[in-house]
Amino acid sequence: MELLEIKGLRASSGGREILKGIEFTLEEGRTAVIFGPNGSGKSTFLGSIVGLPKYDITKGNILFKGKDITGMSTYERTQLGIGLAFQYPPSIKGVRLRTLLDTMNPDKEAIEHACEILDMSPYLDRDVNVGFSGGERKKSEILQLMVQMPDLLLLDEPESGVDIENISLIADALKIILEKDKPIKKRKRSSIIITHTGFILDYIRADKAYVMMGGRILGYGSPSEIFEEIRTRGYKECQKCLEEAERENHAA
Amino acid sequence: MQPKVDKDRLLDVGYDPGIASCGRFLVLDHSIFEASHRIKGLEVLPLADAMDKYPHVRDNLVFRLIEKDRNEFTKTASNLPLVGYYIKVEPGVKIDIPFQAGFLLESAGATQVIHNIIELGEDSEAHIINGCTTSQQTHKGRHIGITETYLGRDAILGYTMIHNWASDVDVYPVGAILVGENARYISNYVAMTSVKKTVSYPVARVMAGGSARFYSIIYSKKDSYFDMGSKAILEGNSSSAEIISRVVSDSGTVISRQMISGSSPGSLGHMECSGLLLGKNGVIHSIPELKGGHPDINLSHEASVGRISKEELSYLMTRGLTDDEARSLIIRGFLDIKIKGIPDRIQQIINEVIDRSISGSM
Repeated sequence: MELLEIKGLRASSGGREILKGIEFTLEEGRTAVIFGPNGSGKSTFLGSIVGLPKYDITKGNILFKGKDITGMSTYERTQLGIGLAFQYPPSIKGVRLRTLLDTMNPDKEAIEHACEILDMSPYLDRDVNVGFSGGERKKSEILQLMVQMPDLLLLDEPESGVDIENISLIADALKIILEKDKPIKKRKRSSIIITHTGFILDYIRADKAYVMMGGRILGYGSPSEIFEEIRTRGYKECQKCLEEAERENHAA
Repeated sequence: MQPKVDKDRLLDVGYDPGIASCGRFLVLDHSIFEASHRIKGLEVLPLADAMDKYPHVRDNLVFRLIEKDRNEFTKTASNLPLVGYYIKVEPGVKIDIPFQAGFLLESAGATQVIHNIIELGEDSEAHIINGCTTSQQTHKGRHIGITETYLGRDAILGYTMIHNWASDVDVYPVGAILVGENARYISNYVAMTSVKKTVSYPVARVMAGGSARFYSIIYSKKDSYFDMGSKAILEGNSSSAEIISRVVSDSGTVISRQMISGSSPGSLGHMECSGLLLGKNGVIHSIPELKGGHPDINLSHEASVGRISKEELSYLMTRGLTDDEARSLIIRGFLDIKIKGIPDRIQQIINEVIDRSISGSM
């Protein structure tokens, strides 16, 4: 069953069009990874799905669990089960991480468990992201998602700036949220991961990879093959290769 | 004898007979209902009685830090019978259980004029919480409060004032503090409800090695006007001051004046004045002032006036919070000042007052 379906999505920010007609689908229980150079629109894509107000959706539709959420507020979308781990989360002075987690979910045990997995208990009485290192911010993001337990996880560069030891902790938490211990058909939660380095893929198995450039999805394929292609030949060559594959598909 | 109807109002400003206190003082309009103390070395008297009992109170403490003719309010107070407390802590006596004082404006249209004197002996410690409010049916009135505070060498005073007035009440607290050598004065001021006008500018003179810290939390609602601030004069070598103010204007007006002035070597002063504008019609006018008169002195300030960050708001909304919940969390966080040196119970009371007001206004 398709959890997310995106049709002809165009989105702009500050009057500049960033997404130029995205077609995308994601099934329940699946993980998709999106590769793309800086400025290709990856973060805008995730932000548009969760409904960040800084992005204006100018055309197209977003369907989540069969409902058209294009005009819904961020709050309404989160209530339906969408969660986002930010690439650059803001610092919120005076708001303790513990207070935020308690507000999100009153289940103390769930919070305790998530803190244990991510080794974040010492940060609970600190202000959200204030003075956190890059890695600590990422762990805090995943901690919040683990407490929120959305059905669709949008992960914007979850491993950037994180050392290997902590990537492993993040991956452990994500595996729990994404029910990676269950057979694919029994998994309910899905995710879209944006990654530059691809390191996270050593820990979390993705089902499909997409390449985004210039606000468009150029094509998709096996995550390992596409990542290898990008690593060895760069995005430009990858673009040519995907365009060729697309033409062949159309011809066929 | 506490009128039943006003218990809740007094509770709202931290006057809570249900919790431990080292003493209590309660004034309704112009009448003193209670003046008590429960700890040896602490004495609490109506100021008029203290003037009779202790000549030095009359001769050396009343209208000594504040001149009778400083302004119209001090003139008014000097011409009326004295109503207020005299709190004395003997040298070496350290009390960490709060002293509770309540000032209730009960009759509509009344003017309540209070004069308090606090005298802490050498190496003593006390924590006073003053709650000032109106009764539920009173919306109009005026409160003038003169407070002169004397801290002996090495003494510590935590002085917390919580205001919970009504929409047509004028409030004029006038305060002056003499901080003795190596003494510490910590002032917390919290005003979270509507008021017609509050004007206050307490001044602390700080002797060698002493410190004065002023923390103020003001939430100014529609048609409320605050002209508030504090001033620390660093008179002694290596004296210090810290002034932190957090001001929210929810369509109200706040003029926040803060000043640290020093001319003694080794002195330090820092102030942070932060303002958050919520409503379209609110005004926050922040006036931080520093005056240094010696090369070996370090004074600094940070000031900001802004609105709630959209980025923070949308971040919290991705966590499943409604717009109101997210705003409330950000405002609560903004007003969260971590005050060092006060008992947990007082911090808890301050937090409760803020929480109640924010949840009530969202």
